[in-house]
Amino acid sequence: MRRKGLIINDRQLDRCDELLRKLKEVSGSSFLALISTSGQPITSASDEYHPETLSLASLAASSFAATQQLAKILDESEFTLLFHEGSALNLHVSEVTDQVLLIVTFGRETQVGKVRLYTQRAIEVLRQIFEGPESEATPEMDADFESAAGDAMDDLFKDE
Amino acid sequence: MPLINFAAREINYKIVYYGCGLCGKTTNLQYIHRKINPDARGKLVSIATEEERTLYFDFLPLTLGTVKGMQTRFHLYTVPGQSYYNASRKLVLQGVDGVIFVADSQITRLDENVESYLNLWDNLLGQGDDLGKLGFVIQMNKRDLSDVFSVEDLNELLNHTGSPVIESSAVTGQGVFETLKVVCKQVIAKTG
Repeated sequence: MRRKGLIINDRQLDRCDELLRKLKEVSGSSFLALISTSGQPITSASDEYHPETLSLASLAASSFAATQQLAKILDESEFTLLFHEGSALNLHVSEVTDQVLLIVTFGRETQVGKVRLYTQRAIEVLRQIFEGPESEATPEMDADFESAAGDAMDDLFKDE
Repeated sequence: MPLINFAAREINYKIVYYGCGLCGKTTNLQYIHRKINPDARGKLVSIATEEERTLYFDFLPLTLGTVKGMQTRFHLYTVPGQSYYNASRKLVLQGVDGVIFVADSQITRLDENVESYLNLWDNLLGQGDDLGKLGFVIQMNKRDLSDVFSVEDLNELLNHTGSPVIESSAVTGQGVFETLKVVCKQVIAKTG
């Protein structure tokens, strides 16, 4: 059975952030983000705050999922990469694990081959972070989280 | 399958509105977007046809705020209702934590409701998920119209799990927040 969820601990996030920072430097990309395959953002590296990260994560994950289904229909074993070329910006989405995707955006001045090369190397390290032994260290949720969230919902989800 | 980011102190849940074409899934999201505190919502994204029928999904992120130190978010999605968009529906269901099945109460929509309900469970079972951990609520929509099934009849047809049932009119907003609240409380209780 699935439904194991995706749980990120401090050590994993620190290592991911460090790696994204390095990848951003060496690849010349402008924005990088790790997201879940169900469309939720995990962490990002950017020159400035990206205001639409939630929508970006949702749309990128959905596009990637659709691309994988296209591969199946075409009898291709897998499309592990989604690439969009724009007039000023390019978008590169690649699979890290079956639960995690890496989004990279970069300008026309940056070579696609360079981004692909460094991204592929980074994915090998990221895969170890999400699937290696350190992913086992899972903190516990606060015991009162459920009741506190219930109170917050009573307050937020109302007509007036 | 919530995403719990202990390092960033964030927790994200995915809720999907499911149901046949024109049952009111998008109208639910539009009402929530209109009425909820603007500080608590993100942008409503719709991938729709020129006739404003959902082609892939609608997406609305909601922020509950910081609960016990965790930034808590619900990501609301709709699926395209028409039967030939099943490939898209399967994709939207990936990683879902809670489902709201929106039933169209009109007598003329019986076949479409049953087909959509069976399709939902086919798709969920096909994903291999542990359905015991899935939040599930049935919203009986369009109760403001006159030519509608009784709640008892619809319940017998569309609720083999004995899940909570909420009567609604998504156009007026009746039952919209109540439905959302019930399913969100379920997913937190089940996935904790």
